[in-house]
Amino acid sequence: MEFVQFHPTTLFGTNILISEAARGEGGILINAKGERFMERYAPKLLELAPRDIVARAIQIEIDEGRGFEEGYVHLDLRHLGEKTIKERLPGIREIAVHFAGIDPIEHPLPVQPAQHYSMGGISTDLEGETPIAGLFAAGECACVSVHGANRLGGNSLLETIVFGARAGKKACERIGGKKADEEIFKRCLKAFEDRLKIIFEGNGKESCSKIRDELRGMMTSHVGIFREEKKLLWAKKNMEALKDRFRLIRLKSKLLAFNFELIQYFDLESMLNVAEVIIEGALKRKESRGAHYRLNYPFRDDQNWLKHTLAYKDEGHIRLDYQEVMITEYPPIERKY
Amino acid sequence: MKDEFLTFRIKRFNKNRTPSQWIDIFQLKKKKGMNLLEALLQIRDEQDGSLGFRYSCRGAVCGSCGMKVNGKPLLACRTILEKLGGDSFLIEPLPNFPLIYDLIIDMIPFYKHYCSIEPYFDHSKSPPLLSEYLMDEAKRKEIDPYIQCIHCGLCYSTCPAFGRNKEFLGPAILAKACRFYMDPRNEKFRNVIFKVDDLHGVWGCNTVYQCERVCPKGVLPTHGILKLRKAILNDKLNRIKDFFKKFSTQFLWRTNQHV
Repeated sequence: MEFVQFHPTTLFGTNILISEAARGEGGILINAKGERFMERYAPKLLELAPRDIVARAIQIEIDEGRGFEEGYVHLDLRHLGEKTIKERLPGIREIAVHFAGIDPIEHPLPVQPAQHYSMGGISTDLEGETPIAGLFAAGECACVSVHGANRLGGNSLLETIVFGARAGKKACERIGGKKADEEIFKRCLKAFEDRLKIIFEGNGKESCSKIRDELRGMMTSHVGIFREEKKLLWAKKNMEALKDRFRLIRLKSKLLAFNFELIQYFDLESMLNVAEVIIEGALKRKESRGAHYRLNYPFRDDQNWLKHTLAYKDEGHIRLDYQEVMITEYPPIERKY
Repeated sequence: MKDEFLTFRIKRFNKNRTPSQWIDIFQLKKKKGMNLLEALLQIRDEQDGSLGFRYSCRGAVCGSCGMKVNGKPLLACRTILEKLGGDSFLIEPLPNFPLIYDLIIDMIPFYKHYCSIEPYFDHSKSPPLLSEYLMDEAKRKEIDPYIQCIHCGLCYSTCPAFGRNKEFLGPAILAKACRFYMDPRNEKFRNVIFKVDDLHGVWGCNTVYQCERVCPKGVLPTHGILKLRKAILNDKLNRIKDFFKKFSTQFLWRTNQHV
């Protein structure tokens, strides 16, 4: 779960994706000093270097004070000309005009990196089945392990078109002609109702949105594009505080339909669970690989870390385990751009 | 001081309350570049957790945050408040749909119509290809204006024909029908015109172009409807021509026999 992809170019303000197409057509990245800074980070591929490299480059520019005031750089498309932009990048132009009020034909776009995709997820086999027999996962929540530590643009299609279909077929097979066991549903419903009762009885002073916003802020600043021991340890400690506060949430509405607070409660619970696993995995992985970058361990360490992290929850605590990586045709080599 | 706040008058609906509809007023501090969806989320977070509205992608892709603002149907996520002008906004659910809760409308009528045109390619006549079904760039460009629909329902909320007659297939779906009629990859493209050839279909449109004015994606439903009307008339004309051709050859053959 420590492999979280940051997309290098999202629109400043709303963080809507400005896709690779913009740089693919020839868009260039410029800092506040007017420099085409990718020359320093990836002299050959420049703006077309892999996502993790471009995202880190932009973040360094911003962190070292060469970004624009509120924390962004410019993605300049103007030299492509009106015709190319209108014909080849109409979607990007539409987003920029409507969400930022900026026409890329006339002005550069303010962009910054943002969280984009989770390479990790619920571990499944090639048929979408998890280690818990009969439980299937497909889509971004699943981890078949085709993306490694750094998904390539467009490759999420695999999740839907290939592995979604496979999971569906396999799930049908598993059910076969069997009838649903009503008792199981009844038991689950009872357990859920008991839980709801406890949630609704919560009588503290905390609200979901405050904890959610703090969690988001912390994950960006402490577990984001750049990671270091000190910050990760702080995040781990603060997680405990957030979890304690989570137990003190009081919901105003006790309705069962259209209870947005309750939905938010469940969202937040999942966010806390996922964040905890990300922090733990990132803390333990003392190397840099793909989207996971540790400031004090800037290189890939295949000898110790060419392996998957598996996280389990034992009695409320996270236990990490590791698994061999299956390498077929392409052994990992150093990336030079 | 007064100018630093924005006022949102939001029409609420709850079928279990009397009266079932009312207006609540919320105020938020002005923030540069804030869009309507952000504002609604902030109201829900800070002032009223029961405020109901749909949203998902925040980027005008999913089409779920359609609503009426100061009388105009639009997508909340894509509406920058400063651009609307003024400091006060009346927010209502999209008209012409049944209400479910607050700003959440029932889209089932929309999807029923959508299903009725069978919006998928039919390749049943020929064996499946082992590669993609390709089409050329020129044709794609021609179909483009009918393809970008995100099912937000804004056009239904402003369509006078759908307002009067809920059986009318409506702008978005007729645009979709046009797209499936034009696509060369669809073997049964002619079936499309039989599905829309009545007063609930293309002939129910008032051609007032309201749908094209509100579409957030630049889809051109009225143009599509006119294209389909033309296709239907041509199809009929061709059938009449065929009939006469057959009739006249038979007639000629008979006259020849008599000679």
